[in-house]
Amino acid sequence: MKLLTHNMLSSNIKGVTAGYPLLIEPQIITTTEVPINPNFLRHIFPKLDYSALVAAAKTLGFSDLPETAGVSDLEDEGFLKRFNHALLELKLEAGALVCPESGRRFMVSKGIPNMLLHEDEV
Amino acid sequence: MTTAATSFTITTPAATAISYNRGILFNQSSRSHLRSHHYLRTSTHRKLEHLFVGRRREGKTRAGSVGGESAGVVEMMEGRTTEELKKGIAELYDESSGVWEDIWGEHMHHGYYPQDGVVSLDDHRDAQIRMIEEALRFAGVSDDPNKRPRSIVDVGCGIGGSSRYLAKKYGASCQGITLSPVQAQRAQALADAQGLADRVRFQVADALAQPFPDGKFDLVWSMESGEHMPDKKKFVSELDRVAAPGATIIIVTWCHRDLSPSEETLRPEEKRLLDKICDSYYLPDWCSTTDYVKLLQSLSLQDIKSADWSQYVAPFWPAVIQSVFTWKGLTSLLRSGWKTIRGALVMPLMIEGYKKDLIKFAVITCRKPAS
Repeated sequence: MKLLTHNMLSSNIKGVTAGYPLLIEPQIITTTEVPINPNFLRHIFPKLDYSALVAAAKTLGFSDLPETAGVSDLEDEGFLKRFNHALLELKLEAGALVCPESGRRFMVSKGIPNMLLHEDEV
Repeated sequence: MTTAATSFTITTPAATAISYNRGILFNQSSRSHLRSHHYLRTSTHRKLEHLFVGRRREGKTRAGSVGGESAGVVEMMEGRTTEELKKGIAELYDESSGVWEDIWGEHMHHGYYPQDGVVSLDDHRDAQIRMIEEALRFAGVSDDPNKRPRSIVDVGCGIGGSSRYLAKKYGASCQGITLSPVQAQRAQALADAQGLADRVRFQVADALAQPFPDGKFDLVWSMESGEHMPDKKKFVSELDRVAAPGATIIIVTWCHRDLSPSEETLRPEEKRLLDKICDSYYLPDWCSTTDYVKLLQSLSLQDIKSADWSQYVAPFWPAVIQSVFTWKGLTSLLRSGWKTIRGALVMPLMIEGYKKDLIKFAVITCRKPAS
Protein backbone atom coordinates (compact mmCIF):
# COMPACT_ATOMS: atom_id res chain seq x y z
CA MET A 1 0.00 0.00 0.00
CA LYS A 2 1.45 3.31 -1.02
CA LEU A 3 0.86 6.48 0.90
CA LEU A 4 -1.12 7.87 -2.02
CA THR A 5 -3.65 5.18 -1.19
CA HIS A 6 -3.37 5.71 2.54
CA ASN A 7 -4.24 9.35 1.95
CA MET A 8 -7.50 8.26 0.38
CA LEU A 9 -8.58 5.70 2.98
CA SER A 10 -10.66 6.27 6.05
CA SER A 11 -12.47 4.26 8.68
CA ASN A 12 -16.21 4.58 8.25
CA ILE A 13 -17.28 2.34 11.08
CA LYS A 14 -20.75 3.15 12.35
CA GLY A 15 -20.53 5.81 15.02
CA VAL A 16 -17.02 6.89 14.19
CA THR A 17 -16.74 10.53 13.19
CA ALA A 18 -12.98 10.97 13.19
CA GLY A 19 -11.85 7.97 11.18
CA TYR A 20 -9.31 9.83 9.11
CA PRO A 21 -6.41 9.61 8.73
CA LEU A 22 -5.76 6.00 9.63
CA LEU A 23 -2.77 5.31 11.86
CA ILE A 24 -0.20 2.90 10.49
CA GLU A 25 1.37 -0.06 12.25
CA PRO A 26 4.08 -1.07 9.80
CA GLN A 27 5.49 -4.57 9.71
CA ILE A 28 7.19 -4.78 6.33
CA ILE A 29 8.13 -1.64 4.46
CA THR A 30 9.66 -1.64 1.00
CA THR A 31 10.91 1.08 -1.28
CA THR A 32 10.80 1.05 -5.02
CA GLU A 33 12.21 3.57 -7.40
CA VAL A 34 9.54 5.59 -9.14
CA PRO A 35 10.61 8.14 -11.75
CA ILE A 36 9.39 11.60 -10.93
CA ASN A 37 6.41 12.68 -13.00
CA PRO A 38 6.06 16.39 -12.16
CA ASN A 39 2.77 16.74 -14.02
CA PHE A 40 1.18 13.94 -12.11
CA LEU A 41 2.48 15.20 -8.80
CA ARG A 42 1.13 18.69 -9.48
CA HIS A 43 -2.13 17.17 -10.68
CA ILE A 44 -2.65 15.13 -7.53
CA PHE A 45 -1.35 17.54 -4.88
CA PRO A 46 -4.62 19.50 -4.48
CA LYS A 47 -6.49 16.27 -3.83
CA LEU A 48 -4.29 15.21 -0.95
CA ASP A 49 -4.39 15.85 2.74
CA TYR A 50 -0.77 16.92 2.97
CA SER A 51 -0.41 16.80 6.76
CA ALA A 52 -1.76 13.25 6.78
CA LEU A 53 0.91 12.36 4.22
CA VAL A 54 3.67 13.89 6.35
CA ALA A 55 2.55 11.97 9.45
CA ALA A 56 2.21 8.69 7.56
CA ALA A 57 5.63 9.07 5.98
CA LYS A 58 7.15 9.55 9.43
CA THR A 59 5.55 6.30 10.60
CA LEU A 60 7.23 4.57 7.70
CA GLY A 61 10.57 6.07 8.66
CA PHE A 62 10.76 9.05 6.33
CA SER A 63 10.92 12.42 8.06
CA ASP A 64 12.30 14.65 5.32
CA LEU A 65 9.04 16.15 4.17
CA PRO A 66 8.43 19.75 5.25
CA GLU A 67 5.54 20.09 7.68
CA THR A 68 3.61 22.32 5.30
CA ALA A 69 3.72 22.79 1.56
CA GLY A 70 1.93 24.84 -1.02
CA VAL A 71 1.49 24.84 -4.75
CA SER A 72 4.67 26.87 -5.19
CA ASP A 73 6.74 24.09 -3.62
CA LEU A 74 5.79 21.90 -6.55
CA GLU A 75 8.14 23.90 -8.72
CA ASP A 76 11.07 23.01 -6.50
CA GLU A 77 12.94 19.91 -7.64
CA GLY A 78 14.14 19.05 -4.17
CA PHE A 79 10.62 19.07 -2.79
CA LEU A 80 9.27 17.08 -5.72
CA LYS A 81 11.84 14.39 -5.04
CA ARG A 82 10.89 14.03 -1.39
CA PHE A 83 7.19 14.32 -2.17
CA ASN A 84 7.53 11.61 -4.80
CA HIS A 85 9.39 9.39 -2.38
CA ALA A 86 6.81 9.69 0.37
CA LEU A 87 3.79 9.42 -1.89
CA LEU A 88 4.82 6.73 -4.33
CA GLU A 89 8.11 5.08 -3.46
CA LEU A 90 7.40 3.96 0.08
CA LYS A 91 5.21 0.91 0.29
CA LEU A 92 3.65 -0.92 3.21
CA GLU A 93 3.78 -4.60 2.30
CA ALA A 94 2.43 -5.87 5.57
CA GLY A 95 1.06 -4.32 8.69
CA ALA A 96 -2.14 -2.71 9.82
CA LEU A 97 -4.11 0.46 9.43
CA VAL A 98 -5.73 1.58 12.65
CA CYS A 99 -8.88 3.61 13.10
CA PRO A 100 -7.80 6.61 15.18
CA GLU A 101 -11.10 6.73 17.03
CA SER A 102 -12.09 3.13 17.64
CA GLY A 103 -8.74 1.39 17.47
CA ARG A 104 -10.05 -1.16 14.98
CA ARG A 105 -7.28 -2.63 12.89
CA PHE A 106 -7.49 -3.23 9.15
CA MET A 107 -4.86 -5.68 8.00
CA VAL A 108 -2.56 -5.00 5.08
CA SER A 109 -1.13 -8.10 3.49
CA LYS A 110 0.89 -8.40 0.30
CA GLY A 111 0.46 -4.68 -0.05
CA ILE A 112 -3.31 -4.82 -0.19
CA PRO A 113 -5.43 -3.37 2.60
CA ASN A 114 -8.56 -5.22 3.63
CA MET A 115 -11.08 -2.55 4.50
CA LEU A 116 -14.11 -4.78 4.85
CA LEU A 117 -16.23 -3.92 7.85
CA HIS A 118 -17.96 -6.52 10.01
CA GLU A 119 -21.75 -6.73 10.15
CA ASP A 120 -21.98 -4.76 13.36
CA GLU A 121 -19.73 -1.99 12.16
CA VAL A 122 -21.87 -0.94 9.24
CA MET B 1 -23.99 -18.37 -38.23
CA THR B 2 -26.91 -16.19 -37.46
CA THR B 3 -28.35 -16.25 -34.01
CA ALA B 4 -32.03 -16.19 -33.49
CA ALA B 5 -31.77 -13.33 -31.10
CA THR B 6 -30.08 -10.62 -33.09
CA SER B 7 -29.11 -9.51 -36.52
CA PHE B 8 -25.43 -10.09 -35.83
CA THR B 9 -23.34 -12.66 -37.52
CA ILE B 10 -20.66 -14.19 -35.41
CA THR B 11 -17.85 -15.57 -37.44
CA THR B 12 -15.00 -17.47 -35.95
CA PRO B 13 -12.97 -20.35 -37.25
CA ALA B 14 -14.58 -22.50 -34.64
CA ALA B 15 -18.13 -21.53 -35.52
CA THR B 16 -18.54 -24.22 -38.09
CA ALA B 17 -16.92 -26.89 -36.01
CA ILE B 18 -18.78 -26.07 -32.85
CA SER B 19 -22.41 -26.33 -33.56
CA TYR B 20 -24.78 -24.73 -31.17
CA ASN B 21 -27.05 -27.64 -31.83
CA ARG B 22 -25.29 -29.96 -29.50
CA GLY B 23 -24.04 -28.45 -26.35
CA ILE B 24 -21.63 -30.84 -24.75
CA LEU B 25 -22.79 -29.89 -21.32
CA PHE B 26 -26.47 -29.78 -22.13
CA ASN B 27 -26.66 -32.71 -24.49
CA GLN B 28 -29.80 -31.64 -26.23
CA SER B 29 -30.55 -31.60 -29.88
CA SER B 30 -32.96 -28.73 -30.25
CA ARG B 31 -31.94 -26.32 -32.96
CA SER B 32 -33.05 -23.23 -31.12
CA HIS B 33 -30.36 -23.73 -28.57
CA LEU B 34 -30.22 -20.16 -27.51
CA ARG B 35 -33.78 -20.24 -26.34
CA SER B 36 -33.41 -21.74 -22.94
CA HIS B 37 -37.01 -22.80 -22.63
CA HIS B 38 -36.08 -25.51 -25.08
CA TYR B 39 -33.34 -26.52 -22.70
CA LEU B 40 -35.80 -26.79 -19.91
CA ARG B 41 -37.83 -29.35 -21.76
CA THR B 42 -35.06 -31.88 -21.85
CA SER B 43 -34.84 -34.11 -18.83
CA THR B 44 -31.09 -33.60 -18.65
CA HIS B 45 -31.51 -29.94 -18.19
CA ARG B 46 -34.29 -30.36 -15.69
CA LYS B 47 -31.85 -32.36 -13.60
CA LEU B 48 -29.27 -29.66 -14.02
CA GLU B 49 -31.85 -27.09 -13.08
CA HIS B 50 -32.42 -28.81 -9.77
CA LEU B 51 -28.74 -28.60 -9.07
CA PHE B 52 -28.62 -24.89 -9.18
CA VAL B 53 -32.14 -23.83 -8.40
CA GLY B 54 -32.70 -26.25 -5.56
CA ARG B 55 -30.73 -24.07 -3.19
CA ARG B 56 -33.44 -21.52 -2.94
CA ARG B 57 -35.75 -21.93 0.01
CA GLU B 58 -39.50 -21.91 0.17
CA GLY B 59 -41.36 -18.72 -0.35
CA LYS B 60 -41.40 -16.15 -3.06
CA THR B 61 -38.58 -13.90 -3.85
CA ARG B 62 -39.51 -10.35 -4.35
CA ALA B 63 -38.51 -8.51 -7.45
CA GLY B 64 -36.61 -5.36 -6.71
CA SER B 65 -38.93 -2.52 -6.13
CA VAL B 66 -37.63 0.70 -4.84
CA GLY B 67 -41.12 1.93 -4.44
CA GLY B 68 -42.71 5.22 -3.77
CA GLU B 69 -41.05 8.19 -2.32
CA SER B 70 -39.20 6.24 0.30
CA ALA B 71 -36.72 4.97 -2.32
CA GLY B 72 -36.35 2.11 0.07
CA VAL B 73 -34.04 -0.83 0.32
CA VAL B 74 -34.29 -3.54 -2.29
CA GLU B 75 -35.20 -6.76 -0.55
CA MET B 76 -32.71 -9.57 -0.33
CA MET B 77 -33.53 -12.85 -1.95
CA GLU B 78 -34.86 -15.15 0.69
CA GLY B 79 -32.37 -17.79 1.69
CA ARG B 80 -29.26 -15.65 1.48
CA THR B 81 -28.18 -13.12 4.04
CA THR B 82 -26.07 -10.14 3.05
CA GLU B 83 -23.05 -11.83 4.60
CA GLU B 84 -23.66 -14.99 2.60
CA LEU B 85 -24.09 -12.90 -0.52
CA LYS B 86 -20.83 -11.00 -0.02
CA LYS B 87 -18.98 -14.20 0.76
CA GLY B 88 -20.49 -15.83 -2.31
CA ILE B 89 -19.50 -12.91 -4.51
CA ALA B 90 -15.95 -12.94 -3.20
CA GLU B 91 -15.67 -16.69 -3.70
CA LEU B 92 -17.25 -16.64 -7.15
CA TYR B 93 -14.76 -14.06 -8.36
CA ASP B 94 -11.83 -15.59 -6.48
CA GLU B 95 -12.62 -18.76 -8.37
CA SER B 96 -13.56 -17.46 -11.79
CA SER B 97 -11.49 -14.34 -12.46
CA GLY B 98 -8.53 -16.35 -13.71
CA VAL B 99 -10.66 -18.25 -16.21
CA TRP B 100 -12.27 -15.07 -17.44
CA GLU B 101 -8.98 -13.26 -17.82
CA ASP B 102 -7.47 -16.21 -19.64
CA ILE B 103 -10.13 -16.20 -22.31
CA TRP B 104 -11.54 -12.68 -22.37
CA GLY B 105 -8.82 -10.52 -20.92
CA GLU B 106 -8.70 -7.81 -18.30
CA HIS B 107 -12.14 -6.26 -18.81
CA MET B 108 -14.98 -8.04 -17.07
CA HIS B 109 -17.84 -6.22 -18.73
CA HIS B 110 -20.01 -6.22 -21.86
CA GLY B 111 -18.72 -4.91 -25.13
CA TYR B 112 -20.48 -2.11 -27.00
CA TYR B 113 -21.25 -3.24 -30.53
CA PRO B 114 -22.49 -1.14 -33.44
CA GLN B 115 -25.77 -2.32 -34.84
CA ASP B 116 -25.81 -4.75 -37.73
CA GLY B 117 -22.14 -5.31 -37.61
CA VAL B 118 -20.15 -8.43 -38.28
CA VAL B 119 -18.40 -9.33 -35.08
CA SER B 120 -15.46 -11.64 -34.77
CA LEU B 121 -14.18 -12.84 -31.44
CA ASP B 122 -11.17 -10.55 -31.78
CA ASP B 123 -13.46 -7.56 -31.83
CA HIS B 124 -14.66 -8.17 -28.31
CA ARG B 125 -11.79 -6.51 -26.58
CA ASP B 126 -12.24 -3.46 -28.78
CA ALA B 127 -15.92 -3.55 -27.95
CA GLN B 128 -15.18 -3.62 -24.23
CA ILE B 129 -12.98 -0.55 -24.60
CA ARG B 130 -15.66 1.10 -26.67
CA MET B 131 -18.07 0.47 -23.81
CA ILE B 132 -15.85 2.50 -21.50
CA GLU B 133 -15.50 5.30 -24.05
CA GLU B 134 -19.22 5.40 -24.82
CA ALA B 135 -20.06 5.59 -21.13
CA LEU B 136 -17.65 8.48 -20.66
CA ARG B 137 -19.09 10.20 -23.70
CA PHE B 138 -22.65 9.69 -22.52
CA ALA B 139 -21.75 11.22 -19.20
CA GLY B 140 -19.94 14.12 -20.82
CA VAL B 141 -16.64 13.61 -19.01
CA SER B 142 -14.28 16.23 -20.34
CA ASP B 143 -10.98 15.54 -22.09
CA ASP B 144 -9.92 19.10 -21.45
CA PRO B 145 -6.67 18.98 -19.40
CA ASN B 146 -8.07 21.51 -16.96
CA LYS B 147 -11.37 19.77 -16.47
CA ARG B 148 -10.64 16.09 -16.64
CA PRO B 149 -10.80 13.93 -13.53
CA ARG B 150 -7.72 13.77 -11.29
CA SER B 151 -8.87 11.12 -8.89
CA ILE B 152 -11.10 8.23 -9.81
CA VAL B 153 -12.76 5.47 -7.85
CA ASP B 154 -13.68 2.20 -9.53
CA VAL B 155 -16.43 0.61 -7.48
CA GLY B 156 -16.50 -3.14 -8.02
CA CYS B 157 -13.30 -3.02 -10.01
CA GLY B 158 -12.85 -6.67 -10.99
CA ILE B 159 -9.25 -7.17 -12.03
CA GLY B 160 -8.94 -3.47 -12.64
CA GLY B 161 -9.40 -3.16 -16.40
CA SER B 162 -11.38 0.06 -16.13
CA SER B 163 -9.13 1.47 -13.42
CA ARG B 164 -6.01 1.09 -15.50
CA TYR B 165 -7.69 2.35 -18.65
CA LEU B 166 -9.14 5.45 -17.00
CA ALA B 167 -5.95 6.26 -15.12
CA LYS B 168 -3.98 6.11 -18.35
CA LYS B 169 -6.54 8.08 -20.32
CA TYR B 170 -6.75 10.96 -17.88
CA GLY B 171 -3.33 10.81 -16.26
CA ALA B 172 -5.22 10.45 -13.01
CA SER B 173 -4.94 8.34 -9.90
CA CYS B 174 -7.46 5.61 -9.42
CA GLN B 175 -8.58 3.56 -6.43
CA GLY B 176 -10.37 0.29 -7.09
CA ILE B 177 -12.39 -1.71 -4.60
CA THR B 178 -13.54 -5.30 -4.79
CA LEU B 179 -14.78 -7.95 -2.36
CA SER B 180 -12.45 -10.51 -3.90
CA PRO B 181 -8.91 -10.68 -2.52
CA VAL B 182 -7.80 -12.66 -5.56
CA GLN B 183 -9.06 -9.93 -7.85
CA ALA B 184 -7.38 -7.19 -5.82
CA GLN B 185 -4.06 -9.04 -5.98
CA ARG B 186 -4.34 -9.67 -9.67
CA ALA B 187 -5.48 -6.12 -10.40
CA GLN B 188 -2.48 -4.73 -8.55
CA ALA B 189 -0.08 -7.11 -10.26
CA LEU B 190 -1.39 -6.01 -13.66
CA ALA B 191 -1.15 -2.35 -12.68
CA ASP B 192 2.40 -2.84 -11.46
CA ALA B 193 3.32 -4.66 -14.66
CA GLN B 194 1.89 -1.83 -16.75
CA GLY B 195 3.90 0.82 -14.93
CA LEU B 196 0.88 2.14 -13.07
CA ALA B 197 1.90 0.97 -9.62
CA ASP B 198 2.25 4.51 -8.43
CA ARG B 199 -1.20 5.70 -9.17
CA VAL B 200 -3.59 2.79 -9.59
CA ARG B 201 -4.25 1.03 -6.30
CA PHE B 202 -6.66 -1.67 -5.24
CA GLN B 203 -8.11 -2.72 -1.94
CA VAL B 204 -10.54 -5.25 -0.61
CA ALA B 205 -13.56 -3.27 0.47
CA ASP B 206 -17.33 -3.12 0.41
CA ALA B 207 -19.09 -0.77 -2.02
CA LEU B 208 -21.78 -0.29 0.61
CA ALA B 209 -19.20 0.98 3.08
CA GLN B 210 -16.49 2.54 0.97
CA PRO B 211 -13.28 3.11 2.94
CA PHE B 212 -12.84 6.67 1.75
CA PRO B 213 -13.53 10.04 3.29
CA ASP B 214 -16.22 12.22 1.74
CA GLY B 215 -15.81 14.02 -1.53
CA LYS B 216 -12.50 12.59 -2.70
CA PHE B 217 -13.15 11.57 -6.29
CA ASP B 218 -13.81 13.53 -9.48
CA LEU B 219 -15.07 10.48 -11.30
CA VAL B 220 -17.06 7.75 -9.58
CA TRP B 221 -17.21 4.69 -11.79
CA SER B 222 -19.31 1.57 -11.41
CA MET B 223 -19.11 -0.71 -14.40
CA GLU B 224 -21.35 -3.73 -14.06
CA SER B 225 -21.08 -4.05 -10.33
CA GLY B 226 -24.38 -2.46 -9.28
CA GLU B 227 -26.20 -5.69 -9.89
CA HIS B 228 -24.34 -7.24 -6.93
CA MET B 229 -25.39 -4.59 -4.44
CA PRO B 230 -28.06 -5.80 -2.02
CA ASP B 231 -28.98 -2.32 -0.89
CA LYS B 232 -29.29 -0.05 -3.92
CA LYS B 233 -30.01 2.98 -1.79
CA LYS B 234 -26.86 2.51 0.28
CA PHE B 235 -24.86 1.76 -2.87
CA VAL B 236 -25.95 4.98 -4.56
CA SER B 237 -25.57 7.11 -1.45
CA GLU B 238 -22.00 5.88 -1.04
CA LEU B 239 -21.28 6.79 -4.67
CA ASP B 240 -22.64 10.24 -3.87
CA ARG B 241 -20.73 10.56 -0.60
CA VAL B 242 -17.29 9.87 -2.06
CA ALA B 243 -17.92 12.10 -5.08
CA ALA B 244 -16.24 15.50 -4.98
CA PRO B 245 -18.28 18.62 -5.74
CA GLY B 246 -18.75 18.78 -9.50
CA ALA B 247 -17.83 15.13 -9.90
CA THR B 248 -19.40 12.80 -12.43
CA ILE B 249 -20.97 9.51 -11.38
CA ILE B 250 -21.34 6.78 -13.97
CA ILE B 251 -23.26 3.56 -13.31
CA VAL B 252 -23.43 0.85 -15.96
CA THR B 253 -25.48 -2.04 -14.72
CA TRP B 254 -28.04 -4.76 -15.34
CA CYS B 255 -31.60 -3.73 -14.54
CA HIS B 256 -34.97 -5.27 -15.11
CA ARG B 257 -37.50 -3.50 -17.31
CA ASP B 258 -39.35 -0.53 -15.92
CA LEU B 259 -42.70 -1.42 -14.44
CA SER B 260 -45.76 0.07 -16.03
CA PRO B 261 -47.89 2.36 -13.86
CA SER B 262 -50.36 -0.44 -13.19
CA GLU B 263 -47.73 -2.92 -12.11
CA GLU B 264 -46.38 -3.36 -8.62
CA THR B 265 -43.95 -6.13 -9.41
CA LEU B 266 -42.67 -8.14 -12.32
CA ARG B 267 -44.75 -11.02 -13.59
CA PRO B 268 -44.20 -14.37 -11.82
CA GLU B 269 -42.48 -15.99 -14.79
CA GLU B 270 -40.17 -12.98 -15.06
CA LYS B 271 -39.27 -13.25 -11.39
CA ARG B 272 -38.60 -16.95 -11.77
CA LEU B 273 -36.16 -16.31 -14.59
CA LEU B 274 -34.32 -13.63 -12.67
CA ASP B 275 -34.20 -15.81 -9.55
CA LYS B 276 -32.33 -18.51 -11.38
CA ILE B 277 -29.82 -16.00 -12.63
CA CYS B 278 -29.51 -14.43 -9.18
CA ASP B 279 -28.83 -17.76 -7.56
CA SER B 280 -25.85 -18.53 -9.77
CA TYR B 281 -24.35 -15.09 -10.06
CA TYR B 282 -24.76 -14.10 -6.42
CA LEU B 283 -27.06 -11.25 -7.26
CA PRO B 284 -29.61 -9.78 -4.92
CA ASP B 285 -32.98 -8.72 -6.29
CA TRP B 286 -32.91 -6.55 -9.35
CA CYS B 287 -34.32 -3.09 -9.70
CA SER B 288 -35.23 -1.01 -12.74
CA THR B 289 -33.43 1.88 -14.41
CA THR B 290 -36.13 4.20 -13.15
CA ASP B 291 -35.46 3.04 -9.60
CA TYR B 292 -31.87 4.20 -9.97
CA VAL B 293 -32.95 7.51 -11.41
CA LYS B 294 -35.28 8.06 -8.46
CA LEU B 295 -32.49 7.30 -6.01
CA LEU B 296 -30.20 9.82 -7.69
CA GLN B 297 -32.98 12.39 -7.67
CA SER B 298 -33.55 11.81 -3.97
CA LEU B 299 -29.90 12.73 -3.35
CA SER B 300 -30.32 15.98 -5.28
CA LEU B 301 -27.81 14.99 -7.90
CA GLN B 302 -27.96 16.91 -11.17
CA ASP B 303 -27.95 16.28 -14.90
CA ILE B 304 -29.35 12.80 -14.38
CA LYS B 305 -29.48 10.81 -17.61
CA SER B 306 -30.17 7.19 -18.34
CA ALA B 307 -30.24 5.02 -21.44
CA ASP B 308 -31.03 1.48 -22.43
CA TRP B 309 -28.06 -0.01 -24.27
CA SER B 310 -29.42 -3.55 -24.51
CA GLN B 311 -29.37 -3.41 -28.29
CA TYR B 312 -25.67 -2.50 -28.28
CA VAL B 313 -24.59 -5.45 -26.16
CA ALA B 314 -26.59 -8.17 -27.90
CA PRO B 315 -23.65 -10.18 -29.30
CA PHE B 316 -21.98 -10.46 -25.91
CA TRP B 317 -23.64 -13.47 -24.24
CA PRO B 318 -23.69 -15.60 -27.38
CA ALA B 319 -19.99 -14.85 -27.70
CA VAL B 320 -19.30 -15.78 -24.10
CA ILE B 321 -21.20 -19.03 -24.51
CA GLN B 322 -19.25 -19.73 -27.65
CA SER B 323 -15.98 -19.15 -25.83
CA VAL B 324 -16.97 -21.80 -23.30
CA PHE B 325 -17.31 -24.36 -26.07
CA THR B 326 -13.73 -24.14 -27.11
CA TRP B 327 -11.13 -26.57 -25.83
CA LYS B 328 -9.55 -23.86 -23.75
CA GLY B 329 -12.92 -22.72 -22.46
CA LEU B 330 -14.07 -26.15 -21.40
CA THR B 331 -10.85 -27.22 -19.77
CA SER B 332 -10.53 -23.91 -17.90
CA LEU B 333 -14.09 -24.14 -16.76
CA LEU B 334 -13.81 -27.72 -15.56
CA ARG B 335 -10.67 -26.81 -13.65
CA SER B 336 -12.12 -23.71 -12.07
CA GLY B 337 -14.81 -24.81 -9.69
CA TRP B 338 -18.49 -25.36 -9.20
CA LYS B 339 -19.46 -21.71 -8.77
CA THR B 340 -17.91 -20.84 -12.12
CA ILE B 341 -19.53 -23.79 -13.84
CA ARG B 342 -22.90 -22.84 -12.42
CA GLY B 343 -22.38 -19.34 -13.72
CA ALA B 344 -21.62 -20.70 -17.15
CA LEU B 345 -24.73 -22.90 -17.16
CA VAL B 346 -26.93 -19.92 -16.53
CA MET B 347 -25.66 -17.81 -19.43
CA PRO B 348 -28.46 -18.81 -21.82
CA LEU B 349 -30.87 -17.39 -19.29
CA MET B 350 -29.25 -13.99 -19.70
CA ILE B 351 -29.92 -14.18 -23.43
CA GLU B 352 -33.49 -15.23 -22.72
CA GLY B 353 -33.89 -12.31 -20.35
CA TYR B 354 -32.67 -9.82 -22.92
CA LYS B 355 -34.83 -11.28 -25.65
CA LYS B 356 -37.91 -11.03 -23.46
CA ASP B 357 -37.15 -7.37 -22.81
CA LEU B 358 -36.92 -8.25 -19.16
CA ILE B 359 -33.21 -7.61 -18.71
CA LYS B 360 -31.91 -4.22 -19.64
CA PHE B 361 -28.34 -3.07 -19.98
CA ALA B 362 -28.56 0.35 -18.45
CA VAL B 363 -26.27 3.33 -18.26
CA ILE B 364 -27.11 5.99 -15.69
CA THR B 365 -25.11 9.11 -15.05
CA CYS B 366 -25.31 12.33 -13.06
CA ARG B 367 -23.25 15.12 -11.61
CA LYS B 368 -22.70 16.16 -8.03
CA PRO B 369 -23.52 19.83 -7.49
CA ALA B 370 -20.44 22.01 -7.53
CA SER B 371 -20.97 23.86 -4.29
